[in-house]
Amino acid sequence: MQGFRNFADEFKRHKALFAMIAPAFILVLILQYLPMTGMVLAFKNYRYDQGVFGSAWNGIANFRYLFASGTGWLITRNTILYNLLNLITSQLLAVFIAIFITEINNMIFKKISQTVILLPYFISWVVVGVFVYSIFNYETGLINGLITKAGGDPVNFYGMPGAWPVIICLFNSWKWTGYNSVIYIAAIMGVDSAIHEAAAIDGANMFQRIRHITLPSIRPTLVTMILLQVGRILRGDFEMFYQIVGNNGQLYNATDVIDTYVFRSLLTNPDIGVTAAATFYQSVLCFAIIMIVNAIVKRIDADYALF
Amino acid sequence: MIKGKLRKILSGALAAAMCVGLLAGCSDPGASAPAASSGSGDAASESGAEGGAELADLDTSQEVELVMYVVSDRPAGQDVVDENLNKLLKEKLNCTLKINWIGWAEYQNKYPLLFSSGEAFDIAYCATWLNFSDLARKGAFKDLGQLLPKYAPKNYAMQSESALSQATIDGTLYAVPTLLATYTAYGAIYNGTIAKEIGDDFKINSWEDIETYGDFVKANHPEMEVVDEYSAGPEIGFTWFKTEGQHYFDNGSRFLWYDPSEDKPTVYANYQYPTIKDFLDMTHRWSEKGFWSKSALSDTDSQKTQTGKAALRLHNIDNYRDFVIQHPEFDFQWTTFTKDVAHLPYTQDCMVISNTSKNPERALAFWDLVTTDQEVYDALMYGVLGTTYTLDDEGNFAITDGDLYQTSAMWAARTTELNRNQQGTPDDYNTIREEWEKNIKAGEGTEKFAGFVFDPTPVQTELTACQNVYQQYWWPLELGYTDVESGLAEYQKNMEVAGIDKVLAEAQKQLDAYVESLG
Amino acid sequence: MANDKDLAVSAPKKIKLSASSKTFYVICYVCVGLMALICLIPFILLISGSFTSEQWIRFHGYGLIPGEFSVEAYNIIFKTPQRIVRAYGVSIMITVIGTICGLFLTTLTAYVIARKDFKYRNWFSFFFYFTTLFNGGMVSTYIYYIQYLHLKDSYLALILPSMFNVFYLLIMRTFVAAIPDALIESAKLDGAGEWRIFFTIILPLLKSGLATIGLFLALGYWNDWYNAMLYMNTETKYPLQYMLYSIQQQTQALASIASQAGISVQNLPSSSLKLAMAVVATGPIVILYPFVQKYFVAGITIGSVKG
Repeated sequence: MQGFRNFADEFKRHKALFAMIAPAFILVLILQYLPMTGMVLAFKNYRYDQGVFGSAWNGIANFRYLFASGTGWLITRNTILYNLLNLITSQLLAVFIAIFITEINNMIFKKISQTVILLPYFISWVVVGVFVYSIFNYETGLINGLITKAGGDPVNFYGMPGAWPVIICLFNSWKWTGYNSVIYIAAIMGVDSAIHEAAAIDGANMFQRIRHITLPSIRPTLVTMILLQVGRILRGDFEMFYQIVGNNGQLYNATDVIDTYVFRSLLTNPDIGVTAAATFYQSVLCFAIIMIVNAIVKRIDADYALF
Repeated sequence: MIKGKLRKILSGALAAAMCVGLLAGCSDPGASAPAASSGSGDAASESGAEGGAELADLDTSQEVELVMYVVSDRPAGQDVVDENLNKLLKEKLNCTLKINWIGWAEYQNKYPLLFSSGEAFDIAYCATWLNFSDLARKGAFKDLGQLLPKYAPKNYAMQSESALSQATIDGTLYAVPTLLATYTAYGAIYNGTIAKEIGDDFKINSWEDIETYGDFVKANHPEMEVVDEYSAGPEIGFTWFKTEGQHYFDNGSRFLWYDPSEDKPTVYANYQYPTIKDFLDMTHRWSEKGFWSKSALSDTDSQKTQTGKAALRLHNIDNYRDFVIQHPEFDFQWTTFTKDVAHLPYTQDCMVISNTSKNPERALAFWDLVTTDQEVYDALMYGVLGTTYTLDDEGNFAITDGDLYQTSAMWAARTTELNRNQQGTPDDYNTIREEWEKNIKAGEGTEKFAGFVFDPTPVQTELTACQNVYQQYWWPLELGYTDVESGLAEYQKNMEVAGIDKVLAEAQKQLDAYVESLG
Repeated sequence: MANDKDLAVSAPKKIKLSASSKTFYVICYVCVGLMALICLIPFILLISGSFTSEQWIRFHGYGLIPGEFSVEAYNIIFKTPQRIVRAYGVSIMITVIGTICGLFLTTLTAYVIARKDFKYRNWFSFFFYFTTLFNGGMVSTYIYYIQYLHLKDSYLALILPSMFNVFYLLIMRTFVAAIPDALIESAKLDGAGEWRIFFTIILPLLKSGLATIGLFLALGYWNDWYNAMLYMNTETKYPLQYMLYSIQQQTQALASIASQAGISVQNLPSSSLKLAMAVVATGPIVILYPFVQKYFVAGITIGSVKG
């Protein structure tokens, strides 16, 4: 009752705010929450003639294959490590590039470079996959071509699993740095330029200005971006891994993530319940991790927490 | 071709003599052969002359629109084809056909959704690669046990026993298999121009010959790969086991094999084969010689042989025919590398009736007509004579404009008797197939197992894990990338962890039961 | 306004540069230039590859200029030009409508959850965020959208699902949060209502945020083919990306299925086709982007708004 009265009070006070949030609330409720009942499929033996709700329950049978032969741990670890690596490199690079670009005075150079760094975003992973093979393959690859020309022995990249976390991380940064830097550029640009001018007039040098004005201005955005990425830490970018690694089993121990493993399993065992189980597993772990991280952030500074 | 036709109808008549429920218990094929073959000529002539007019049981007074789903992109010239076909169907069955197309970009997602969305439609194309048996087990299709003999009697009569047995899942008939014979044979498709450079009478007949050929290619055409291997997975081990006369247990799991010449074959995993090390030593040597790329498993180019980048491909005879039609300049040659050729599962392509169909009877009658009436068959497969296709004097077809219409998508309807050869098909394509057909004896060798369907449900988890291990460890091993001794040991160890023993036990159990059921 | 901007931008130039600042500028130019180059070269390879004959690519790989010039890939794409023109139209329509609606929704919602005096802001944030962790899965969403929302073959199926993205919402929130609370407080004291505050004070201050999220929304809509794949049946309603994607899949499938289909298919330019598709799809955005950029170029001086 107390809760309801609080709500009624708040509603009366902020009628307009409730009205403002209502459209998004309704949209998300209808488009996202109502189909969520489909999550039950993770625990069901789905049959076409019985539908989502008519199908029989089958406990945790759909989850078993994930952990069969001890792969569950390996792919979970790989997924988390890749996401951490990609998170750090792509965000860090994006911040640097954003700062550098905003400091550049030459308008033509600035405009062109800003457009150009966004180009990789448009190149789909399918196309990246085509390039990766032509760069790294043993016989005719670009790199091995250069090595042999210089008199060295060609390197068999596809026989070296250890090289691939680096290669994948490089391509990931290449693709996302420009996109992410757009956000930081906007955040830096949002700062009143009068503050920069005043600082400059007060004798602050460039590094002081960056440290005391620019960096603080992007901190909230940076924290939000990191939290958003942490909330996806168990989801692998399927397209990226699939297009770069593909069917090459030699690399799986170093490159297999949950999404690619599930994809391959579905080829042998095409079951809607199995997909649902994998998604559910990822969701629950992501949920647990983000709740912990968000709680920690909230303790440090409530303004930076996601919710 | 005549031989093939006879045999087909022969086994069909055999099946017709039995009730669907009794399929498991089979009579001696030799005994019924004379009777069946005498009747076959009549059956064939009847089907040509009368079409579908004799279906007494079917009420065709109401006009219906049948809805059919196929997997393919809709050809630009489909309107003309539809119009022509519907005129025929209206005349013969008082129905029209609406074809819905599921494009190549969407079939993986949309095909299974088709059966879960509750949409009412009648006919759908299905196939092993669309997971026929899995969909059947999960209740996507209508039970055809009663309907097929009644409403598609002529088609039913032509179905072989093993075909119907494959279409039967958990005791229920769920599909109408294609009536086009395809074979388990794998072989070498190689470049005849290069073979001539080695010697006028050089022919590839053995694995040793492939090595000779390969050494020559490496020395004289260094820009070419010898054996065409790419990211979809190596074919060399698969072919080698077939040369040894072994038969794969289930097409989805190529690591399980058995010897079909034994009375009670034992299922084994590929690493257990006695001479497996000899094979691996060979591929390791070939890999060191550079017969294929060290990065083959990441190479997505699937057309290396056709385009002259690779000199030899291990695949089936239909690919050989296509290569010849597309690239006569390379003078492609074929050698069979399979000791005991048998028919492929007929559910490779099949037709299913949806659970939601309102007119299953008419749909089956339509199917009966398509698969027995040359006029309707041509209209469905090739379109309109003179507009979408032309025929030469021998009845071989040529597509007028590939951008307008191609014969894709209607694979399930293909029938050996009605099917036409494409112009440019090499002569030995037909003679070799006739030879196979002649040598296949029902109930013997590999053919004995053509009707076997594996139900992976009890060991699904282990099987999935094994399949993953197979891809991860066997493929690189097979291509000679890893050391033979240690690679084999690692593969075996991981297979055991994945639960291969449980899979083998279940496989053995089901195969024994099948052998038992044959009597 | 325009003059203010010019002033703000040119102001720092007048200040004399110290030696360390000069070094920093050099680093800026070098890093950004290098990054731009890394992003630009693959794109040049892409364009050149799309004009190279398939056979050349197969034997010689990619080069910065086409080894053997061929427009075959473009011929396949533009075989029926009216199809592509129409698909462009559909893409532009859903991008414009979706971006405008999405931007409005995102900003409105972000404003509410950024208001520190709104008691339920965390609750609502969590409500929205939760959908990124859990979802009903493709099957139940598909059945629900088709059977209950009747989205099959409707343009709404292309617009609604991507209209509201939590990721954008939380980024936008950081932009809103950067606006001093005092502004809202003083407006309230002046007697302005919530809606008036939002439209006359908040929106004008969010220009760089609006530009960022607007850009992301537009890119998302432009690149989306997945919803079209699931829900669209009529070819004339396909957006550009899906049209291209289906051409590519068709070409690939025909090549691999040729033997099964019992017909022979000509060699199809699959590699160059993939690249040509990327060029056709990216072209318009690359041309349009500089126009969007002007919102990133200069910060918005709060002072000028207040004045």
